[in-house]
Amino acid sequence: MLDKKRISRRTFIKGSVLIGGAAALAACGAPATVAPTAAPAATAAPAATSAPAAAKLDLPFPVAPEAMDPFKLDVSVPVDGQFFSGGFGDDYIRYAAKIEEMIHPGLKVNVTPLQKVQETLQPRFVGGNPPDVIDNSGAGNFKTVDLVNQNQLLELTDLFEAPALDTPGKKFKDTLFPGSQVAGVVFNGKQYGVNVAYTVSGIWWSKTLADKNGWKYPETWDDMLAFCEQIKKDGKYAPWTYQGKYPYYMSGIVWEQLLYKAGGNDVVLKIDNLEPNAWNDPAALRATESLYALYDKGYIMPGTAGLTHTESQAEWLKNKAVFLPCGTWLENEMKTVTPKDFNMVMNGIPGYKDGKGDQKGIFANGGEPFVVPAKAKNTKGGLEYLRCILSKSSAKWFAENVSSMMPVVGATEGAKISDGMKSALAVVSNAGTAIIDVEVGNYYSKIETELELHTGELLTGKLKPADFLTTMQKVADGVAADPDTPKQKHVISG
Amino acid sequence: MACRSQCFALVLVGACIFPERSLVKYGQKTFIFTFLFFPVVIYVVFVAVPYVTSMAVSFTKWRGLTMNLPFNGINNFVKLFNDPNFWNALSHNGIALVVLPPVIIIIALFFAFLFTQGIRGAGFFRIAFFFPQVMSAIIVGVLWSFVYHPTIGMLNGFLGIFGIASMQSFPWLGDTSTVFGAILAVTVWQAVGFYMVLFITGMESIPPHFYEAARLDGANSFVMFTQITVPMLWEAIRTAIIFLALGAMDMYAIVMIMTNGSGGPSRAADVVPRYMVEAAFTNGEWGYATAMAVVLMLIILVLSILSLRFTRRETVEF
Repeated sequence: MLDKKRISRRTFIKGSVLIGGAAALAACGAPATVAPTAAPAATAAPAATSAPAAAKLDLPFPVAPEAMDPFKLDVSVPVDGQFFSGGFGDDYIRYAAKIEEMIHPGLKVNVTPLQKVQETLQPRFVGGNPPDVIDNSGAGNFKTVDLVNQNQLLELTDLFEAPALDTPGKKFKDTLFPGSQVAGVVFNGKQYGVNVAYTVSGIWWSKTLADKNGWKYPETWDDMLAFCEQIKKDGKYAPWTYQGKYPYYMSGIVWEQLLYKAGGNDVVLKIDNLEPNAWNDPAALRATESLYALYDKGYIMPGTAGLTHTESQAEWLKNKAVFLPCGTWLENEMKTVTPKDFNMVMNGIPGYKDGKGDQKGIFANGGEPFVVPAKAKNTKGGLEYLRCILSKSSAKWFAENVSSMMPVVGATEGAKISDGMKSALAVVSNAGTAIIDVEVGNYYSKIETELELHTGELLTGKLKPADFLTTMQKVADGVAADPDTPKQKHVISG
Repeated sequence: MACRSQCFALVLVGACIFPERSLVKYGQKTFIFTFLFFPVVIYVVFVAVPYVTSMAVSFTKWRGLTMNLPFNGINNFVKLFNDPNFWNALSHNGIALVVLPPVIIIIALFFAFLFTQGIRGAGFFRIAFFFPQVMSAIIVGVLWSFVYHPTIGMLNGFLGIFGIASMQSFPWLGDTSTVFGAILAVTVWQAVGFYMVLFITGMESIPPHFYEAARLDGANSFVMFTQITVPMLWEAIRTAIIFLALGAMDMYAIVMIMTNGSGGPSRAADVVPRYMVEAAFTNGEWGYATAMAVVLMLIILVLSILSLRFTRRETVEF
């Protein structure tokens, strides 16, 4: 639920990523068969001019005939793409555009990178001429649910059922990581967007520090508290810190996963579907008390509440605190200030021995949602763009040049991925099918805002667990009773 | 301060519509008209028309994405009246309104008085005090966020020197009881310099023989200050009161920056313009947010009229 906001706060590392990307671009310019990076125009141009429609194209990867043009594009209509350009830069966006242009000779894909997505594009929606594809991310993005509620987004069934671009014999939907295309992009059971970046969210610590002290990562939350007590007694480090001024890292990463581990999908669905008394479920109380214990027993680093995300993460890198909740973007975000031997690794959220959810479960979903406006002129061109950006070739380029992952199966084979990402993938493979999905914040912005706010109060002792739940129940009841808020239905099958 | 430029624009429009008759001769009218035509057109198109349309939008349930504007009667205003978050935000503007004008004016007067007494280095201090005014609210907000930083911040470091250990790593901007006070202090710091300069120019134009005469009559410094300086400066002080009162109803930029957009923790430093942005951009309730804007506009209008009326005094010509 928190990816959209979080990713935006990485904008400032854009520079470093871009420099890295540019270097990589220059490096792989030579072998033209590897990837259409530096000189894609050279490969595409002759194909476009010399051979019309059906002739064989000189593509950098094989594409099955049935996968060439599933949407029957009209190449004379250019594709208007408007993309948020943040921590990942915009080279990967242009790369996918090049692929689309190569496959459809004569087609022009216009890429416009931008910052404040909503401010920039709102007049175009109001005017009835939205672009064909949007990367709706960053601080000033649209709430996807608003776009959905006002029938502004195209349902992506055609795309998901279409053949994948460069994974022969598979449908598009079958080439994506299981569970990665749900959070924030499915509303009332319908697919309205794709998550292009893959993120796993858990608790981080320094492997170096842990090895030095002979620590073993706690298995249950009780172990976690006992372990924190030990660290506190030793007095060398504070056990925990979090992104103080943005308490949603604690609500969105820790609390929501604890909720699932305590009560399983039953309680998650009750809360997501605004059922009466959902927040008074014993599982919610258990998760809340677990979180509150960190404050109550004095395990949180003093001053945490006054720090921003990067400030608290910097303190953590100085070993002022042992644990920090975050997603896999953390590595990239803190790249310039991470000590050489810090060795940050991600772990799951310690759960409960008798919890109802799968105790190996983890948040492993996507960020960077891309959407196609329903009223766009060239929706087919938009759909085709999404098929290109989530192709194996594009995902591999992304992994190598942006050091992040796309949720595309098999794309990172042979690609160098970071140690932090490796540790996160280990947690995911351990979790198997238990990918946790809590949507309440994606469905209802007001609940997201209030949940964050009251989590902050819980972690500074301003609110006791029982009052926290009473307050949140009132918020949820208010949203449930508000006729102006369209309701969503969350269903988890299987 | 957007309010200030709007004041100027209003004056401009006034001057255009009601030029003082005695001054206007034939030809002069055309002259004034041609000069003011384009600014007025721009003002009407980009300020007056949006004001009027937003009043219309405030009666709708506009969600901001289509031209679909379902009429909602006065429901937005009823909802606003019952919205505790709105009252909370407004109360902070209210506190700013009560605190900022007197505090800033008193401090500015004090320094203005000090730096017109011919003390050494007055020129340096004038520039130093004026300097924050040159910086944008964004930069000021970011700088002070570092000052208030719990562990490496100057403030806690300073308190540490005096051995106030209980304040060690205290999160000034992360605690509901201190966050708004911390922001108000920054606002004072930034604004004092401007009003100090305003008052200094006023003080320097007061003829010295007024003071000489008073001194001969046996008046002390305090009496001279209250009986001569303040009345002679009244027009400047009045300007300051009005600007600061309008500024107190805004506070958007500094609150956004110093609370990282949240107006909190727990909305403890929220102000109406920020809550308005939350309603529009986060919750997508553009009609409701517009209603809030209209109410804020009415409040500011009333406030302007009141402060103009209650600060009116006879001015001394000299």
